[in-house]
Amino acid sequence: MKKGICIQKSPGQWKDSIAHYLNLDIRKYKKTFKKFNRGGLFLFFFFLILALFPSLFAPYPPTERFVSYEPPSAAHLLGTNDIGNDILSELVYGARISMMVGFATACISTFIGLMIGLCSGYFRGTIDELLMGFTDVVLIIPKIPLIIIIGAFLHPSIWTLILVLGLLSWESIARVVRSKTLQIREAGYVKSARCMGFSSFHIMVSDIFPNLIHVLMPKFMLTTASAMISEASLSFLGLGDTSMKSWGIMLSFAFSRGGFIRDMWWWYIPPGVCIALCVMSIAMIGFGFEGRDEKERRGMDAE
Amino acid sequence: MALKAENVSKTYGSGLLGSRKCIFREVSFELEPGKTFGLMGPSGEGKSTLGRIVAGLESPTSGTILLNGNPLLGMKKAEYTAFRRRVQMMFQDPTDSFNPRKRIEQSISEVLKLLNSPESKRLQSTKEMLKTIGLPKEVLARYPSQLSGGQLQRLALGRILLLEPEYIVLDEPTSALDVSVQAQILHLLKKVQAEEGIGYLLISHDEAVIRFMSERIGMLKKGKLDMIRT
Repeated sequence: MKKGICIQKSPGQWKDSIAHYLNLDIRKYKKTFKKFNRGGLFLFFFFLILALFPSLFAPYPPTERFVSYEPPSAAHLLGTNDIGNDILSELVYGARISMMVGFATACISTFIGLMIGLCSGYFRGTIDELLMGFTDVVLIIPKIPLIIIIGAFLHPSIWTLILVLGLLSWESIARVVRSKTLQIREAGYVKSARCMGFSSFHIMVSDIFPNLIHVLMPKFMLTTASAMISEASLSFLGLGDTSMKSWGIMLSFAFSRGGFIRDMWWWYIPPGVCIALCVMSIAMIGFGFEGRDEKERRGMDAE
Repeated sequence: MALKAENVSKTYGSGLLGSRKCIFREVSFELEPGKTFGLMGPSGEGKSTLGRIVAGLESPTSGTILLNGNPLLGMKKAEYTAFRRRVQMMFQDPTDSFNPRKRIEQSISEVLKLLNSPESKRLQSTKEMLKTIGLPKEVLARYPSQLSGGQLQRLALGRILLLEPEYIVLDEPTSALDVSVQAQILHLLKKVQAEEGIGYLLISHDEAVIRFMSERIGMLKKGKLDMIRT
Protein backbone atom coordinates (compact mmCIF):
# COMPACT_ATOMS: atom_id res chain seq x y z
CA MET A 1 0.00 0.00 0.00
CA LYS A 2 1.23 3.48 -0.89
CA LYS A 3 2.47 5.77 1.83
CA GLY A 4 0.13 8.59 2.66
CA ILE A 5 -3.05 6.66 1.98
CA CYS A 6 -5.37 7.05 4.93
CA ILE A 7 -6.11 3.70 6.49
CA GLN A 8 -9.18 3.50 8.66
CA LYS A 9 -8.14 2.83 12.21
CA SER A 10 -9.92 2.29 15.48
CA PRO A 11 -9.65 5.14 18.04
CA GLY A 12 -7.16 3.14 20.12
CA GLN A 13 -4.88 2.63 17.12
CA TRP A 14 -5.02 6.35 16.32
CA LYS A 15 -3.94 7.16 19.84
CA ASP A 16 -1.00 4.77 19.55
CA SER A 17 0.09 6.12 16.16
CA ILE A 18 -0.20 9.76 17.31
CA ALA A 19 1.91 8.88 20.34
CA HIS A 20 4.41 7.18 18.04
CA TYR A 21 4.71 10.19 15.69
CA LEU A 22 5.02 12.63 18.58
CA ASN A 23 7.56 10.32 20.15
CA LEU A 24 5.56 10.07 23.36
CA ASP A 25 5.98 7.20 25.71
CA ILE A 26 2.43 6.65 26.93
CA ARG A 27 3.57 4.07 29.47
CA LYS A 28 5.65 6.72 31.21
CA TYR A 29 2.59 8.95 31.56
CA LYS A 30 0.50 6.02 32.76
CA LYS A 31 3.11 5.37 35.44
CA THR A 32 3.00 9.02 36.51
CA PHE A 33 -0.77 8.83 36.63
CA LYS A 34 -0.55 5.74 38.84
CA LYS A 35 1.74 7.59 41.23
CA PHE A 36 -0.76 10.45 41.14
CA ASN A 37 -3.49 8.03 42.18
CA ARG A 38 -1.40 6.74 45.03
CA GLY A 39 -0.88 10.34 46.10
CA GLY A 40 -4.66 10.75 46.11
CA LEU A 41 -5.08 7.75 48.37
CA PHE A 42 -2.39 9.02 50.75
CA LEU A 43 -4.00 12.48 50.92
CA PHE A 44 -7.44 10.97 51.47
CA PHE A 45 -6.25 8.84 54.38
CA PHE A 46 -4.51 11.85 55.85
CA PHE A 47 -7.81 13.79 55.87
CA LEU A 48 -9.70 10.72 57.08
CA ILE A 49 -7.39 10.36 60.08
CA LEU A 50 -7.78 14.09 60.79
CA ALA A 51 -11.55 13.66 60.67
CA LEU A 52 -11.60 10.55 62.87
CA PHE A 53 -9.10 11.66 65.52
CA PRO A 54 -9.04 15.49 65.49
CA SER A 55 -8.02 15.75 69.15
CA LEU A 56 -4.66 14.11 68.34
CA PHE A 57 -3.73 16.82 65.85
CA ALA A 58 -5.51 19.98 67.03
CA PRO A 59 -3.39 22.00 69.48
CA TYR A 60 -6.48 23.36 71.32
CA PRO A 61 -10.18 22.55 71.59
CA PRO A 62 -11.91 24.43 68.72
CA THR A 63 -14.05 26.55 71.08
CA GLU A 64 -11.24 27.72 73.38
CA ARG A 65 -10.75 31.51 73.18
CA PHE A 66 -7.54 33.51 72.93
CA VAL A 67 -6.74 37.04 71.74
CA SER A 68 -8.70 37.89 68.54
CA TYR A 69 -7.15 38.49 65.12
CA GLU A 70 -3.73 37.13 66.08
CA PRO A 71 -1.33 36.57 63.18
CA PRO A 72 0.46 33.19 62.87
CA SER A 73 2.89 32.55 65.71
CA ALA A 74 4.51 29.63 67.52
CA ALA A 75 1.52 29.38 69.87
CA HIS A 76 -1.05 29.64 67.07
CA LEU A 77 0.43 28.35 63.81
CA LEU A 78 -2.44 29.75 61.76
CA GLY A 79 -3.35 32.60 64.07
CA THR A 80 -6.77 33.24 65.64
CA ASN A 81 -10.10 34.43 64.28
CA ASP A 82 -12.49 37.22 65.26
CA ILE A 83 -13.62 35.53 68.48
CA GLY A 84 -10.18 34.28 69.35
CA ASN A 85 -10.49 30.61 68.31
CA ASP A 86 -7.32 28.89 67.11
CA ILE A 87 -7.72 28.57 63.32
CA LEU A 88 -5.56 25.43 63.03
CA SER A 89 -7.76 23.65 65.59
CA GLU A 90 -10.90 24.77 63.74
CA LEU A 91 -9.39 23.52 60.51
CA VAL A 92 -8.65 20.07 61.96
CA TYR A 93 -12.12 19.72 63.50
CA GLY A 94 -13.71 21.07 60.30
CA ALA A 95 -12.46 18.04 58.34
CA ARG A 96 -14.92 15.85 60.22
CA ILE A 97 -17.97 17.98 59.31
CA SER A 98 -17.00 18.45 55.66
CA MET A 99 -16.23 14.77 55.11
CA MET A 100 -19.32 13.67 56.98
CA VAL A 101 -21.53 15.81 54.73
CA GLY A 102 -19.75 14.41 51.67
CA PHE A 103 -20.01 10.75 52.62
CA ALA A 104 -23.52 10.89 54.09
CA THR A 105 -24.78 12.62 50.94
CA ALA A 106 -23.03 10.08 48.73
CA CYS A 107 -24.55 7.21 50.75
CA ILE A 108 -28.09 8.57 50.29
CA SER A 109 -27.69 9.38 46.60
CA THR A 110 -25.89 6.11 45.80
CA PHE A 111 -28.65 4.13 47.49
CA ILE A 112 -31.44 5.96 45.62
CA GLY A 113 -29.53 5.86 42.31
CA LEU A 114 -28.84 2.15 42.72
CA MET A 115 -32.46 1.29 43.48
CA ILE A 116 -33.87 3.35 40.61
CA GLY A 117 -31.21 2.32 38.08
CA LEU A 118 -31.41 -1.38 39.00
CA CYS A 119 -35.22 -1.56 38.83
CA SER A 120 -35.29 0.48 35.64
CA GLY A 121 -32.67 -1.60 33.84
CA TYR A 122 -33.89 -4.97 35.05
CA PHE A 123 -37.64 -4.61 34.55
CA ARG A 124 -37.48 -2.37 31.45
CA GLY A 125 -40.78 -1.45 29.76
CA THR A 126 -43.18 0.90 31.51
CA ILE A 127 -41.25 0.86 34.82
CA ASP A 128 -38.11 1.90 32.94
CA GLU A 129 -39.90 4.71 31.10
CA LEU A 130 -41.51 6.04 34.27
CA LEU A 131 -38.35 5.90 36.37
CA MET A 132 -36.11 7.35 33.67
CA GLY A 133 -38.66 10.09 32.94
CA PHE A 134 -38.58 11.01 36.63
CA THR A 135 -34.76 10.90 36.55
CA ASP A 136 -34.71 13.30 33.58
CA VAL A 137 -36.96 15.70 35.49
CA VAL A 138 -34.62 15.62 38.52
CA LEU A 139 -31.64 16.01 36.19
CA ILE A 140 -32.83 19.35 34.81
CA ILE A 141 -33.61 20.88 38.20
CA PRO A 142 -30.95 23.53 38.93
CA LYS A 143 -29.56 22.16 42.17
CA ILE A 144 -27.82 25.00 43.95
CA PRO A 145 -30.69 27.54 43.51
CA LEU A 146 -33.18 24.92 44.71
CA ILE A 147 -31.02 24.06 47.72
CA ILE A 148 -30.71 27.78 48.50
CA ILE A 149 -34.52 28.13 48.46
CA ILE A 150 -35.05 24.99 50.56
CA GLY A 151 -32.23 26.02 52.90
CA ALA A 152 -33.78 29.46 53.32
CA PHE A 153 -37.21 28.04 54.20
CA LEU A 154 -36.08 25.18 56.40
CA HIS A 155 -34.09 25.58 59.58
CA PRO A 156 -30.46 25.52 58.41
CA SER A 157 -28.98 22.37 59.85
CA ILE A 158 -26.35 19.96 58.62
CA TRP A 159 -28.91 17.15 58.39
CA THR A 160 -31.21 19.22 56.15
CA LEU A 161 -28.22 19.93 53.94
CA ILE A 162 -27.25 16.25 53.74
CA LEU A 163 -30.83 15.21 53.00
CA VAL A 164 -31.41 17.84 50.32
CA LEU A 165 -28.03 17.22 48.63
CA GLY A 166 -28.57 13.44 48.84
CA LEU A 167 -32.08 13.65 47.38
CA LEU A 168 -30.90 15.73 44.44
CA SER A 169 -27.63 14.05 43.39
CA TRP A 170 -28.64 10.51 42.49
CA GLU A 171 -29.69 10.91 38.86
CA SER A 172 -26.34 10.36 37.16
CA ILE A 173 -25.79 7.27 39.35
CA ALA A 174 -29.22 5.94 38.34
CA ARG A 175 -28.40 6.38 34.65
CA VAL A 176 -25.04 4.63 34.88
CA VAL A 177 -26.48 1.78 36.95
CA ARG A 178 -29.38 1.39 34.51
CA SER A 179 -27.13 1.12 31.46
CA LYS A 180 -24.85 -1.40 33.18
CA THR A 181 -27.88 -3.40 34.38
CA LEU A 182 -29.28 -3.49 30.84
CA GLN A 183 -25.97 -4.96 29.72
CA ILE A 184 -25.69 -7.52 32.55
CA ARG A 185 -29.31 -8.72 32.28
CA GLU A 186 -28.51 -10.08 28.82
CA ALA A 187 -25.57 -12.13 30.14
CA GLY A 188 -25.95 -15.91 30.01
CA TYR A 189 -25.82 -16.34 33.78
CA VAL A 190 -28.74 -13.95 34.31
CA LYS A 191 -30.76 -15.70 31.59
CA SER A 192 -29.92 -19.07 33.15
CA ALA A 193 -30.98 -17.81 36.57
CA ARG A 194 -34.30 -16.58 35.14
CA CYS A 195 -34.76 -19.88 33.34
CA MET A 196 -34.10 -21.85 36.53
CA GLY A 197 -36.83 -19.90 38.31
CA PHE A 198 -34.84 -17.63 40.63
CA SER A 199 -36.85 -14.59 41.76
CA SER A 200 -36.16 -11.16 40.29
CA PHE A 201 -35.05 -9.98 43.74
CA HIS A 202 -32.53 -12.82 44.02
CA ILE A 203 -31.16 -12.12 40.53
CA MET A 204 -30.83 -8.39 41.21
CA VAL A 205 -29.15 -8.86 44.60
CA SER A 206 -27.04 -11.90 43.90
CA ASP A 207 -26.16 -11.73 40.20
CA ILE A 208 -26.43 -8.11 39.08
CA PHE A 209 -25.47 -6.04 42.13
CA PRO A 210 -22.00 -7.61 42.68
CA ASN A 211 -21.18 -6.80 39.06
CA LEU A 212 -22.23 -3.17 39.55
CA ILE A 213 -19.84 -2.40 42.41
CA HIS A 214 -16.99 -1.31 40.15
CA VAL A 215 -19.36 1.19 38.50
CA LEU A 216 -20.78 2.37 41.81
CA MET A 217 -17.47 2.98 43.60
CA PRO A 218 -16.19 5.77 41.32
CA LYS A 219 -19.65 7.35 41.25
CA PHE A 220 -19.79 7.20 45.06
CA MET A 221 -16.41 8.91 45.39
CA LEU A 222 -17.20 11.59 42.81
CA THR A 223 -20.56 12.30 44.46
CA THR A 224 -18.75 12.67 47.80
CA ALA A 225 -16.38 15.19 46.22
CA SER A 226 -19.16 17.19 44.58
CA ALA A 227 -21.24 17.14 47.80
CA MET A 228 -18.27 18.59 49.69
CA ILE A 229 -18.02 21.40 47.17
CA SER A 230 -21.78 22.05 47.35
CA GLU A 231 -21.60 22.12 51.14
CA ALA A 232 -18.74 24.60 51.03
CA SER A 233 -20.61 26.82 48.53
CA LEU A 234 -23.82 26.79 50.55
CA SER A 235 -22.00 27.39 53.82
CA PHE A 236 -20.15 30.27 52.22
CA LEU A 237 -23.51 31.73 51.20
CA GLY A 238 -24.59 31.50 54.84
CA LEU A 239 -26.94 28.53 54.45
CA GLY A 240 -24.85 26.12 56.50
CA ASP A 241 -25.14 25.12 60.12
CA THR A 242 -23.07 27.66 62.05
CA SER A 243 -23.02 25.47 65.15
CA MET A 244 -20.96 22.85 63.28
CA LYS A 245 -17.94 24.53 61.77
CA SER A 246 -17.00 23.00 58.46
CA TRP A 247 -14.37 24.39 56.10
CA GLY A 248 -17.13 26.16 54.16
CA ILE A 249 -18.40 27.85 57.32
CA MET A 250 -14.84 28.92 58.15
CA LEU A 251 -14.60 30.57 54.73
CA SER A 252 -17.96 32.22 55.24
CA PHE A 253 -16.89 33.67 58.60
CA ALA A 254 -13.56 34.80 57.18
CA PHE A 255 -15.54 36.70 54.56
CA SER A 256 -18.23 38.17 56.84
CA ARG A 257 -16.12 38.87 59.94
CA GLY A 258 -13.29 40.83 58.39
CA GLY A 259 -10.80 38.16 57.34
CA PHE A 260 -10.68 39.35 53.75
CA ILE A 261 -10.70 43.09 54.57
CA ARG A 262 -7.85 42.72 57.03
CA ASP A 263 -6.02 40.52 54.52
CA MET A 264 -5.72 37.70 57.03
CA TRP A 265 -4.72 35.06 54.49
CA TRP A 266 -4.08 32.50 57.25
CA TRP A 267 -7.81 32.58 57.94
CA TYR A 268 -9.24 32.02 54.44
CA ILE A 269 -6.50 30.25 52.47
CA PRO A 270 -6.09 27.09 54.64
CA PRO A 271 -9.79 26.03 54.53
CA GLY A 272 -9.85 26.72 50.78
CA VAL A 273 -6.72 24.63 50.24
CA CYS A 274 -8.12 21.85 52.44
CA ILE A 275 -11.38 21.75 50.45
CA ALA A 276 -9.43 21.66 47.18
CA LEU A 277 -7.00 18.95 48.32
CA CYS A 278 -9.63 16.75 49.94
CA VAL A 279 -11.97 16.97 46.93
CA MET A 280 -9.03 16.32 44.62
CA SER A 281 -7.92 13.25 46.60
CA ILE A 282 -11.44 11.77 46.57
CA ALA A 283 -11.87 12.54 42.86
CA MET A 284 -8.50 10.92 42.13
CA ILE A 285 -9.58 7.74 43.92
CA GLY A 286 -12.80 7.85 41.89
CA PHE A 287 -10.87 8.23 38.63
CA GLY A 288 -8.60 5.40 39.75
CA PHE A 289 -11.62 3.10 40.10
CA GLU A 290 -12.90 4.23 36.70
CA GLY A 291 -9.51 3.50 35.16
CA ARG A 292 -9.51 0.02 36.66
CA ASP A 293 -12.94 -0.65 35.23
CA GLU A 294 -11.76 0.49 31.80
CA LYS A 295 -8.72 -1.79 32.07
CA GLU A 296 -10.88 -4.77 33.04
CA ARG A 297 -13.23 -4.08 30.12
CA ARG A 298 -10.37 -3.86 27.65
CA GLY A 299 -8.87 -7.03 29.08
CA MET A 300 -12.16 -8.82 28.55
CA ASP A 301 -12.44 -7.47 24.98
CA ALA A 302 -8.96 -8.68 24.19
CA GLU A 303 -9.88 -12.19 25.31
CA MET B 1 -46.94 -35.96 27.51
CA ALA B 2 -45.15 -33.44 25.33
CA LEU B 3 -43.96 -29.86 25.01
CA LYS B 4 -45.74 -28.35 22.03
CA ALA B 5 -45.34 -25.14 20.07
CA GLU B 6 -48.60 -24.35 18.28
CA ASN B 7 -48.75 -21.77 15.48
CA VAL B 8 -46.06 -19.67 17.09
CA SER B 9 -45.23 -16.37 15.34
CA LYS B 10 -42.81 -13.64 16.31
CA THR B 11 -42.81 -10.10 15.01
CA TYR B 12 -40.52 -7.25 15.98
CA GLY B 13 -41.12 -3.50 15.65
CA SER B 14 -44.11 -1.23 16.10
CA GLY B 15 -45.26 -1.21 12.50
CA LEU B 16 -44.64 2.53 12.09
CA LEU B 17 -42.95 3.45 8.79
CA GLY B 18 -42.67 -0.19 7.81
CA SER B 19 -40.52 -1.10 10.83
CA ARG B 20 -42.52 -4.27 11.54
CA LYS B 21 -40.56 -7.40 10.77
CA CYS B 22 -41.91 -10.91 10.92
CA ILE B 23 -39.21 -13.36 12.06
CA PHE B 24 -41.25 -16.55 11.67
CA ARG B 25 -44.92 -17.31 11.14
CA GLU B 26 -47.15 -20.07 12.51
CA VAL B 27 -44.45 -22.52 13.47
CA SER B 28 -45.65 -25.76 15.07
CA PHE B 29 -43.67 -28.70 16.42
CA GLU B 30 -43.58 -31.07 19.35
CA LEU B 31 -40.89 -32.26 21.75
CA GLU B 32 -41.22 -35.75 23.14
CA PRO B 33 -39.55 -37.10 26.27
CA GLY B 34 -36.32 -38.97 25.55
CA LYS B 35 -36.13 -37.70 21.97
CA THR B 36 -34.37 -34.85 20.21
CA PHE B 37 -35.88 -32.39 17.79
CA GLY B 38 -33.15 -30.73 15.76
CA LEU B 39 -33.76 -27.18 14.60
CA MET B 40 -31.40 -25.85 11.99
CA GLY B 41 -31.31 -22.98 9.58
CA PRO B 42 -29.26 -20.01 8.47
CA SER B 43 -28.17 -17.29 10.91
CA GLY B 44 -30.70 -14.60 11.73
CA GLU B 45 -33.76 -16.72 10.96
CA GLY B 46 -34.91 -16.72 14.59
CA LYS B 47 -33.80 -20.16 15.79
CA SER B 48 -32.62 -18.86 19.15
CA THR B 49 -35.71 -16.65 19.51
CA LEU B 50 -37.89 -19.71 18.92
CA GLY B 51 -35.82 -21.59 21.52
CA ARG B 52 -36.30 -18.81 24.07
CA ILE B 53 -40.04 -18.78 23.36
CA VAL B 54 -40.24 -22.56 23.90
CA ALA B 55 -38.28 -22.17 27.16
CA GLY B 56 -40.73 -19.48 28.29
CA LEU B 57 -38.11 -16.72 28.43
CA GLU B 58 -39.78 -14.65 25.73
CA SER B 59 -43.42 -14.40 24.74
CA PRO B 60 -44.57 -15.08 21.17
CA THR B 61 -46.54 -12.48 19.18
CA SER B 62 -49.17 -15.15 18.58
CA GLY B 63 -49.53 -18.86 19.16
CA THR B 64 -49.10 -20.93 22.30
CA ILE B 65 -46.62 -23.15 24.10
CA LEU B 66 -48.25 -26.13 25.77
CA LEU B 67 -46.69 -28.35 28.40
CA ASN B 68 -48.65 -31.60 28.66
CA GLY B 69 -51.66 -29.82 27.16
CA ASN B 70 -51.42 -26.85 29.57
CA PRO B 71 -50.93 -23.50 27.81
CA LEU B 72 -48.00 -21.46 29.20
CA LEU B 73 -49.89 -18.15 29.07
CA GLY B 74 -52.80 -19.26 31.25
CA MET B 75 -50.64 -20.90 33.94
CA LYS B 76 -51.10 -20.02 37.61
CA LYS B 77 -48.04 -19.13 39.71
CA ALA B 78 -47.51 -22.66 41.06
CA GLU B 79 -47.90 -24.16 37.59
CA TYR B 80 -45.49 -21.64 36.14
CA THR B 81 -42.92 -22.44 38.85
CA ALA B 82 -43.25 -26.11 37.92
CA PHE B 83 -42.87 -25.20 34.21
CA ARG B 84 -39.69 -23.28 35.05
CA ARG B 85 -38.19 -26.42 36.58
CA ARG B 86 -39.38 -28.76 33.84
CA VAL B 87 -38.20 -26.75 30.85
CA GLN B 88 -34.60 -25.54 30.94
CA MET B 89 -32.30 -23.85 28.50
CA MET B 90 -28.57 -24.27 27.88
CA PHE B 91 -26.79 -21.39 26.20
CA GLN B 92 -24.15 -21.08 23.53
CA ASP B 93 -21.35 -19.35 25.41
CA PRO B 94 -20.16 -21.51 28.33
CA THR B 95 -17.92 -18.74 29.70
CA ASP B 96 -21.01 -16.58 30.16
CA SER B 97 -23.18 -19.24 31.84
CA PHE B 98 -21.81 -18.69 35.35
CA ASN B 99 -21.58 -15.49 37.36
CA PRO B 100 -17.89 -14.47 37.08
CA ARG B 101 -17.85 -13.27 40.69
CA LYS B 102 -19.03 -16.53 42.23
CA ARG B 103 -17.19 -19.80 42.73
CA ILE B 104 -18.80 -22.75 40.96
CA GLU B 105 -19.70 -24.20 44.35
CA GLN B 106 -21.76 -21.13 45.17
CA SER B 107 -23.57 -21.19 41.82
CA ILE B 108 -24.42 -24.87 42.32
CA SER B 109 -25.48 -24.54 45.96
CA GLU B 110 -27.85 -21.68 45.04
CA VAL B 111 -29.73 -24.05 42.75
CA LEU B 112 -29.94 -26.65 45.52
CA LYS B 113 -31.23 -23.98 47.90
CA LEU B 114 -33.83 -23.02 45.30
CA LEU B 115 -34.97 -26.64 45.28
CA ASN B 116 -35.26 -26.56 49.11
CA SER B 117 -32.84 -29.45 49.26
CA PRO B 118 -31.79 -30.14 52.90
CA GLU B 119 -28.23 -29.11 53.70
CA SER B 120 -27.20 -32.68 54.52
CA LYS B 121 -28.21 -33.86 51.03
CA ARG B 122 -26.60 -31.02 49.08
CA LEU B 123 -23.10 -32.46 49.11
CA GLN B 124 -24.39 -35.84 48.00
CA SER B 125 -26.41 -34.30 45.13
CA THR B 126 -23.40 -32.26 44.02
CA LYS B 127 -21.15 -35.35 44.06
CA GLU B 128 -23.67 -37.32 42.00
CA MET B 129 -23.98 -34.46 39.54
CA LEU B 130 -20.19 -34.24 39.12
CA LYS B 131 -20.05 -37.98 38.57
CA THR B 132 -22.69 -37.74 35.83
CA ILE B 133 -20.87 -34.98 33.97
CA GLY B 134 -17.44 -36.54 34.60
CA LEU B 135 -15.64 -33.74 36.44
CA PRO B 136 -13.54 -33.88 39.63
CA LYS B 137 -14.77 -32.12 42.75
CA GLU B 138 -11.82 -29.71 42.61
CA VAL B 139 -13.70 -27.63 40.00
CA LEU B 140 -16.14 -26.53 42.70
CA ALA B 141 -13.58 -24.28 44.34
CA ARG B 142 -12.74 -22.52 41.08
CA TYR B 143 -14.08 -19.35 39.51
CA PRO B 144 -15.55 -19.63 35.98
CA SER B 145 -12.53 -17.83 34.53
CA GLN B 146 -10.29 -20.64 35.83
CA LEU B 147 -12.12 -23.36 33.88
CA SER B 148 -12.15 -24.33 30.21
CA GLY B 149 -15.13 -23.92 27.87
CA GLY B 150 -15.78 -27.68 27.85
CA GLN B 151 -15.69 -27.91 31.64
CA LEU B 152 -18.06 -24.97 31.97
CA GLN B 153 -20.48 -26.40 29.44
CA ARG B 154 -20.51 -29.70 31.37
CA LEU B 155 -21.12 -27.80 34.60
CA ALA B 156 -23.91 -25.79 32.93
CA LEU B 157 -25.56 -29.08 31.96
CA GLY B 158 -24.94 -30.51 35.44
CA ARG B 159 -26.53 -27.49 37.09
CA ILE B 160 -29.58 -27.86 34.85
CA LEU B 161 -29.80 -31.59 35.66
CA LEU B 162 -30.07 -30.78 39.39
CA LEU B 163 -33.52 -29.36 38.59
CA GLU B 164 -34.55 -32.70 37.04
CA PRO B 165 -36.00 -31.13 33.89
CA GLU B 166 -38.19 -32.93 31.37
CA TYR B 167 -37.09 -30.82 28.42
CA ILE B 168 -33.93 -28.86 27.65
CA VAL B 169 -33.57 -26.29 24.91
CA LEU B 170 -29.96 -26.55 23.72
CA ASP B 171 -29.08 -23.29 21.99
CA GLU B 172 -25.94 -24.06 19.96
CA PRO B 173 -24.38 -25.92 22.90
CA THR B 174 -21.21 -26.87 21.07
CA SER B 175 -20.56 -24.04 18.62
CA ALA B 176 -18.22 -22.19 21.00
CA LEU B 177 -16.13 -25.33 21.63
CA ASP B 178 -13.40 -27.02 19.62
CA VAL B 179 -14.11 -30.26 17.75
CA SER B 180 -12.84 -32.81 20.29
CA VAL B 181 -14.69 -31.11 23.14
CA GLN B 182 -17.79 -30.85 20.93
CA ALA B 183 -17.86 -34.63 20.59
CA GLN B 184 -17.49 -35.10 24.36
CA ILE B 185 -20.38 -32.75 25.08
CA LEU B 186 -22.61 -34.40 22.45
CA HIS B 187 -21.89 -37.86 23.86
CA LEU B 188 -22.58 -36.58 27.36
CA LEU B 189 -25.91 -35.13 26.17
CA LYS B 190 -26.83 -38.47 24.58
CA LYS B 191 -25.86 -40.38 27.73
CA VAL B 192 -27.91 -38.06 29.95
CA GLN B 193 -30.87 -38.36 27.58
CA ALA B 194 -30.72 -42.15 27.65
CA GLU B 195 -30.49 -42.20 31.47
CA GLU B 196 -33.02 -39.51 32.37
CA GLY B 197 -35.37 -39.57 29.36
CA ILE B 198 -35.09 -35.85 28.73
CA GLY B 199 -36.49 -34.33 25.53
CA TYR B 200 -34.13 -31.96 23.71
CA LEU B 201 -34.74 -29.10 21.33
CA LEU B 202 -31.32 -28.84 19.71
CA ILE B 203 -30.66 -25.59 17.89
CA SER B 204 -27.62 -25.53 15.65
CA HIS B 205 -26.46 -24.39 12.26
CA ASP B 206 -24.12 -27.40 12.09
CA GLU B 207 -25.93 -30.06 10.06
CA ALA B 208 -23.58 -32.86 11.19
CA VAL B 209 -24.35 -32.16 14.85
CA ILE B 210 -28.09 -32.04 14.16
CA ARG B 211 -28.05 -35.29 12.16
CA PHE B 212 -25.97 -37.05 14.85
CA MET B 213 -28.26 -36.04 17.69
CA SER B 214 -31.80 -35.79 16.36
CA GLU B 215 -34.64 -38.18 15.63
CA ARG B 216 -36.63 -35.43 13.93
CA ILE B 217 -35.23 -32.40 12.15
CA GLY B 218 -36.79 -29.10 11.13
CA MET B 219 -35.34 -26.34 8.99
CA LEU B 220 -36.29 -22.76 9.87
CA LYS B 221 -35.90 -20.70 6.72
CA LYS B 222 -37.63 -17.57 5.46
CA GLY B 223 -39.97 -17.59 8.45
CA LYS B 224 -41.25 -21.12 7.85
CA LEU B 225 -40.45 -24.44 9.47
CA ASP B 226 -39.97 -27.30 7.02
CA MET B 227 -39.67 -30.81 8.36
CA ILE B 228 -36.66 -32.60 6.91
CA ARG B 229 -36.68 -35.77 8.96
CA THR B 230 -39.88 -36.89 10.66
